[in-house]
Amino acid sequence: MTVPDEKFFAWLDGELPAAEAAAVEAEVAKSPALTRAAEQHRALRGRLRAAFDTVVAQPVPQSLRQPAEVIDFGAAKRVRDHRRWGSPAQWAAIAATLIIGVFIGTMTAAPGSGPVEVRGGHLYAASALSGALDNELASASVTGPVRIGMTFRDRSGSICRTFTDPQSSGLACRDGPDWKLRGLFAVPEGQGGTYRMAGGMDPNLAALVDSAIAGEPLDAAQERAAMSKGWK
Amino acid sequence: MDRTSSFEDQLGALLPQLRRFAHALSWDAADADDLVQATLERALRSKRQWQPGTRLDSWTYRIMRNLWIDTARSRSRKAKLEAPATEAELVGEDPRGAMDAAIDLKRMMTAMQKLPDEQREVVALILIEGFGYREVCEMLDLPMGTVSSRLVRGRTRLLALVGEQ
Repeated sequence: MTVPDEKFFAWLDGELPAAEAAAVEAEVAKSPALTRAAEQHRALRGRLRAAFDTVVAQPVPQSLRQPAEVIDFGAAKRVRDHRRWGSPAQWAAIAATLIIGVFIGTMTAAPGSGPVEVRGGHLYAASALSGALDNELASASVTGPVRIGMTFRDRSGSICRTFTDPQSSGLACRDGPDWKLRGLFAVPEGQGGTYRMAGGMDPNLAALVDSAIAGEPLDAAQERAAMSKGWK
Repeated sequence: MDRTSSFEDQLGALLPQLRRFAHALSWDAADADDLVQATLERALRSKRQWQPGTRLDSWTYRIMRNLWIDTARSRSRKAKLEAPATEAELVGEDPRGAMDAAIDLKRMMTAMQKLPDEQREVVALILIEGFGYREVCEMLDLPMGTVSSRLVRGRTRLLALVGEQ
């Protein structure tokens, strides 16, 4: 080709400035091979659009019109405060009993390598997990295995963050320079890595958050500000 | 409260195109709708992190793409299990006979599945969803050169897979 591939396709996609586009167009007109490639790729794009546009024309399944178990923490808390159902301590106690000892055992098996370590009888985030809690914004795209869900302040004013990785989800709160775990829940057997699990928060974790949160979750700007202050 | 309902309304209005993007990424319609469901749940839960005035579609596509990346491992396992049947199906069909767009959808989904993930998402966002190169760079946090070279490789492979004769 007399025109580099990237440039040829940028022209085809209408991404080139007018002057450059005219130059490529002239090259394409001179070359039967390029002219043919342009036709084939225009046809491919048209065919892709036509095929996938049939999805847009389909009625949206009813199940998607009513997303199941979506938890709006702000709204849920307002309702709870209003009705005063259940005490936070009760919720926390229920949640705490569901942290699975055996699971913790596997998470801490190799000292220095697991996502969790035990110090002075408490669990702390380590390695990739503490890195994500320190550095990831919930609103940002994720590069590692750990995804941050939401960030909020608990009743003592400490920053807390929920997280999910392929095996578990949990809640960690700032304790000096460390992240102390308040809860860690195994992903139910057979559900690891499915879309549904990736999207839905573990109900035990949701209850734990609900018992710990003071006020509203931080929004993106507040989260960024908290990070720049070292999560204090 | 107005802002809350408008967020949800806006998200609802995106549903048809979110389903289209999910179909472009996924193995089949059931997987696609699971992905849409997960995306909606996450978007609603994270709505305070969306900044009004910025594009809700790009934000939501990005959530979907991240959820999809999270499931890469189970997806490749499934693809291996089901690949032989699909090859047979492709060989047995006359591409020129499949002019009806609805029939062509399954065929195009199958071909998209044969692209590496990083090419498939770029092809889906630019050729199917109609985003500009620059928008896709921002959505995926990738430099322009990477996006355009993935797009070249992806569409070239796709043409070879489904190409007209």
